[in-house]
Order: sequence, then structure tokens, then C-alpha cells
Amino acid sequence: MNQFIGSRALPDLVYHRPGTMDDLLGLVKGIEGEYRVVAGCTDFIPAIRGGKWRFADGINVVDIRGVKALSGIREEKGEIVMGAATRLSDILVSPVIREKAPVLADAVSQMASPQVRNTATVGGNLCMASPAADTAPPLLVLDAKVAWRTADGEETTPLNKFFLGPGATVLPPRSVLTEIRFPAPGPDEAARRTRMGQRTAFVCSIISVAVWLRGGPEKIEAARIAMGAVAPTPILITAAESVLIGKKPNEATLAEAAKTAASNIAPIDDLRATADYRKSLAETLTRRLLAACVGDLA
Amino acid sequence: MKHDPKASHCQCGGKMSRRGFITALGVGAAGVAATGAMTARTATAKETPMIPSGEMARIDLTVNDRAHTLLVEPRWTLLHVLRESLGMTGTKAGCERGECGACTVLIDDIPRYACLTLAMEVQGRRIVTLEGLMEGEKLGPVQEAFLEEDAFQCGYCTPGQIVAAEGLLRADPNPSSETITRAMSGNLCRCGTYPHIHNAIQSAAGKRR
Repeated sequence: MNQFIGSRALPDLVYHRPGTMDDLLGLVKGIEGEYRVVAGCTDFIPAIRGGKWRFADGINVVDIRGVKALSGIREEKGEIVMGAATRLSDILVSPVIREKAPVLADAVSQMASPQVRNTATVGGNLCMASPAADTAPPLLVLDAKVAWRTADGEETTPLNKFFLGPGATVLPPRSVLTEIRFPAPGPDEAARRTRMGQRTAFVCSIISVAVWLRGGPEKIEAARIAMGAVAPTPILITAAESVLIGKKPNEATLAEAAKTAASNIAPIDDLRATADYRKSLAETLTRRLLAACVGDLA
Repeated sequence: MKHDPKASHCQCGGKMSRRGFITALGVGAAGVAATGAMTARTATAKETPMIPSGEMARIDLTVNDRAHTLLVEPRWTLLHVLRESLGMTGTKAGCERGECGACTVLIDDIPRYACLTLAMEVQGRRIVTLEGLMEGEKLGPVQEAFLEEDAFQCGYCTPGQIVAAEGLLRADPNPSSETITRAMSGNLCRCGTYPHIHNAIQSAAGKRR
């Protein structure tokens, strides 16, 4: 298939498909040479084809889709738990997500294309650590934690501390992301998200924004604002929270919070949009989302 | 129907050779030497199915209701196997990185990109390609509707469009206009025939009823 200009052939792969968690962790612990843990491969293959990643022949590919325990969505002790290898399309149709965290389903519904969503996984989206990862802003405002395992144990960290930079996370070597969990939102909470892209579908986000509020029409008790594609990683913008907490959610408060949020991001000019445009969008979209959440709480 | 290299109806396996593969990929002699040397590179848990680099693995695939047993390299995508091993060129290679939709196939009735699917991953699965929508020489309802509604210009994206539409109609026989738009958002048409494609899918939904 080398006749396609600009497309590199895949290197020779050593393909592993463990069937249980123990096999997976044992394999990753003992593997020699370079390896990649893959799930959907919807980032893995394009990264090689486009030349972003180059591997020598013999790269070990550990496909985790054979491990049933890594897929699925459940509610457990007031938390919603998603396996890292849960496909995006499964999130979209999950009754638990649709009822308890529609903000996540909303975000996923606009990601990539149906064919990609039928293949790609939520864990893969987070592990690739794209600044524009579209599952990240809603999960950040839902206060999600991620868990990973190695052959020797398990660790959990807030998603807010997970991303280090474009393509970089705190995941230690020889570990596998296993779960994403967040508290099931209560009736006095509201969350909304939106994104802008050059098209409505099948594009990388110019910006994505998610907000979450707890409280009522008289007082905001807690707030979170997260954005994607405005910094080296998806970010939770804590500076804007203090503007909202304890206040009555009137127009002026929401506008100030949106302004604060927009002044605490570090967007860049790139082929999709300018930094100025992103800042302007950040403020406008945040203000609109906050107003919508206040409406939901009323 | 199982694979049988001696039977004339079976398109696979018998023709598959190391040489054929190398010709198809345009890899030179250096490639052969390198793949041979890589074989024993890895350590792995005993129970874990592992296919060494540069070696062919046997997989079973059902493509358009026909069972095939194929020898594949772990790095081959389903797209490569369909086109190069099975000679089924209805599935088109466009961008080969999940950005265009030309290679859309149904895997257990779910539309996915064959270019982003390793053949090893779909072991034992049921694949439907454009060819599988025909009955002999007779076009399927979606194909007929595309013809009638003039839903293509150059036609390169059309197989992917038709298979994506078929996948939609299998999941939702009476899709709303918005559902059609969303379901088809993963298939780009450089010629811009989207309105006709949209009409064709509405018409196909009627034909299938």
C-alpha cells in the first residue's frame, strides 16, 4: 500500500491479545523492547501513517480489547465507573450515562465520526493526551478520577493531575489505564458542554468548554469550568471558581466568571484558529454554558 | 463455506504467498531479511496469544456470508486483507487514516473503518463489504437508490457511503433526516453530492420496508 502518497506502511508488529487482566499485566511487566498498549487503534494507526510516530520493525502491540473487565459502564456506590476500553459508542447509548451524565454523552456524540466512535475508546482518548481530547472537559468538570494498574498494584489520580503535556500523562511505564470514575451527579447539579470546530462533525475542536454548577437560583455552592484546545493539556480553570462560589448567579456574576476563565487560558495560533479567536470563544461559550446551567438548576 | 485452496470458488489462501505479499507491498529484499530477524524478539506470558512480527497468522473471517481462513501479517489492516488477499476492491482506500470514510465496512453489522482495523483484531467476526450488498448481479436497495437519486459524481467515496448507509438502515430502518445526517458524518464526498446521498438514503429506507 505504499502507492498512497504521504502514507507510511505500518512496521512489522508483534501482536499480543491477552484475554485476562492478569495476563495483560504480566505481559506488560515482562515485555522486552518497545511496546504500545492499544485499544481502538484509531490514533495508533494514523500516528504511524502520518509519520508522527515511527517504530522499528518488531514493535510490540498489546491489544487490550480481549480483556472483558476493561469494558463497560456501571454505577457503584454513588460513582459511575467506565472501563478504560469502553468504546465511545457504548458511552453514547449507555442508560447510566444518558441519565446521570448526559454532558458526557453530548460531548461524545460530536467526537470524530460514527465509524471512529464504534472503534475508539474513552481510555485511548485520555491516554493520547491531546490538548483537544473531547472527553476530557466534561470528565474534568465531573471531577473524574482515573485508575491504572501494574503487575504490582493499582493507583488512582484525579484526571486534573493526569495530563502533563501534549501526548504526555503521568501513567508510569508498564502500567495500563483501567478505569475512569466520577461521582454520580445529584439533583442540585447541572453540567453542560459545547465545542467549536470548522465543521459540526468529524473535526478536531478549535475549542471545547464544559461547565458544572452545584446550588440553586439563589446561590452557587460549587463550580467547575474546563476547556480543551486552549492550553498544552485539557485544563480545569480553578481561577474562575472563586468568582462564582457563594454568589447569586446573576448575569454580572456569570459574565465575570467567563471573563476570568478566558484570561486564564494559554491558547495558540494554529491551522484551525488564532489564539485571539479562541480567547473570545472561551469567554462567550463559558458565559452561555453557565447561563444554561443556571437555567437547569432553577 | 470453509476455505479450500483446491476449490475454484475460493478466492483466498491458495494464492497467498510470501512472494505475493511482498509484491503487493512493494517491499524489497531488505524487508524480507529484516522481518526474519525480528521474529524471536519478544518475551511473553505463556497463555497470551502472540503473533510474532514478520510471520503469518491464520485467522478466520466471514466476509459477505462466506467463511475464509486467511494467512495475514499482524500489521495488515482489514482494508489490506479485503483488497489484496481477497481481491475485493469494492472497499476503497482513501486516506488510510480514518479521515474520509471510503473504506467503511460493517463488522458484526456496525460500520467501522477498515483502514483503522487490524485484521488480527477481527478474527472470527462477520464482515460485510459493498460486494455483500448484491444478490448475484442484482443491486441491493441502497445501491439502487444511489443510482436513482444520482448520489455520486466521481464515485470514489460511494462504496463507503453505501455501506455506511446500509449500517444505518440495519440499526434504524426508519431514520429521521437528522439521524441520516449524523450517521453519514463519517463519510466525506469531495464532489459534494451530500444532498443526493441524503435523498438516496431516505429512498432506500422506503425500498427496504
